[in-house]
Amino acid sequence: MKEIVYLRMKKNVEQQKYESLTLKDLAFISTTSLQKEELEKTPIYRVSKKDKNIVVIDSFLIIDHLNRLFPNIEIQLVGPPHTVVRINRTKKNASILLVSAVWLLLFIGAAMTIMNFHYDVSMQEVQQKLHYILTGKEEEFPLWIQIPYSLGLGLGMVLFFNHWFKKRINEEPSPLEVEIFNYQQNLDQYLTHYENRINDK
Amino acid sequence: MISNFLIIGVEIVVGFAGGLAVGAGFVAFLTLLGIIPRLIQLTRSEAYIKVYTACIIIGSIFGTFLSFTNVTWNHPELLLIIWGVLHGIFNGMLAAALTEVINVFPILSKRIGIDDKIVWLFMAIVFGKITGSLFQWTFFVR
Repeated sequence: MKEIVYLRMKKNVEQQKYESLTLKDLAFISTTSLQKEELEKTPIYRVSKKDKNIVVIDSFLIIDHLNRLFPNIEIQLVGPPHTVVRINRTKKNASILLVSAVWLLLFIGAAMTIMNFHYDVSMQEVQQKLHYILTGKEEEFPLWIQIPYSLGLGLGMVLFFNHWFKKRINEEPSPLEVEIFNYQQNLDQYLTHYENRINDK
Repeated sequence: MISNFLIIGVEIVVGFAGGLAVGAGFVAFLTLLGIIPRLIQLTRSEAYIKVYTACIIIGSIFGTFLSFTNVTWNHPELLLIIWGVLHGIFNGMLAAALTEVINVFPILSKRIGIDDKIVWLFMAIVFGKITGSLFQWTFFVR
């Protein structure tokens, strides 16, 4: 009787240099077979220069390879059907200069867009009229509305994103984190489709 | 006389149709940006969705009334402060939601590889908005 091996591919694997990947690097396995360690040490794929920085290893390749080497086992796939291997040879830290430049860019950009927005919607006029409706006095510069408005603007953004610098307001993921997660998920989906050699044939 | 009635009739139809389109568009915009779900999530008040819906509708109608009326109430300036803060928070959420919708942050974090400092970039936008707004009201328009 064939022994069953349950195979669960790792979703993402980060690799520092070009070297051979064993089954253990790419997947988790569970089996009652005595060959477990031998299985885990099986080399599956050798990452080389021509892979550039992303390789997708399809579970089919692994199953195909293992079937040939170990005829007495039966492999059952659980979990994701492929592993994305990322090779970053130099794990670089973003320079503080670059971050400052981006910071300044976003700062000025945000300031300018909000000013243009206020002009676009004639907020000054609306606030003047509102000042008249509420207090009965004409006021060209209704600062009593405008300054609290400006502070509230920042508060609203903080509330929406659930972040005040590094401190979180509650435990739920903020829309920003969900957005970054979705973006990463979409990238992975694209990669697993276009970088997977099995799909190419 | 009859043509007068006709013109009024046309006006009613035009006004009503315009209001319908703007109202539907406004609600669609709010829904798209997901501000209401976000507020519900923050306050854990899923049970009150109907109340919030009613709030939006009544608020819109009240705003329409304010834009076309000429009344004036003699309220103290404290009311203006409250009004300003609430307006600001709402607009801030709108602005934050827009930044999110156009995916600025995920792409920025990918391009320059600063996943862990993304919150600082976000604070840049927050302070940029506050500064821009204060600058406009206290210097720029004067």
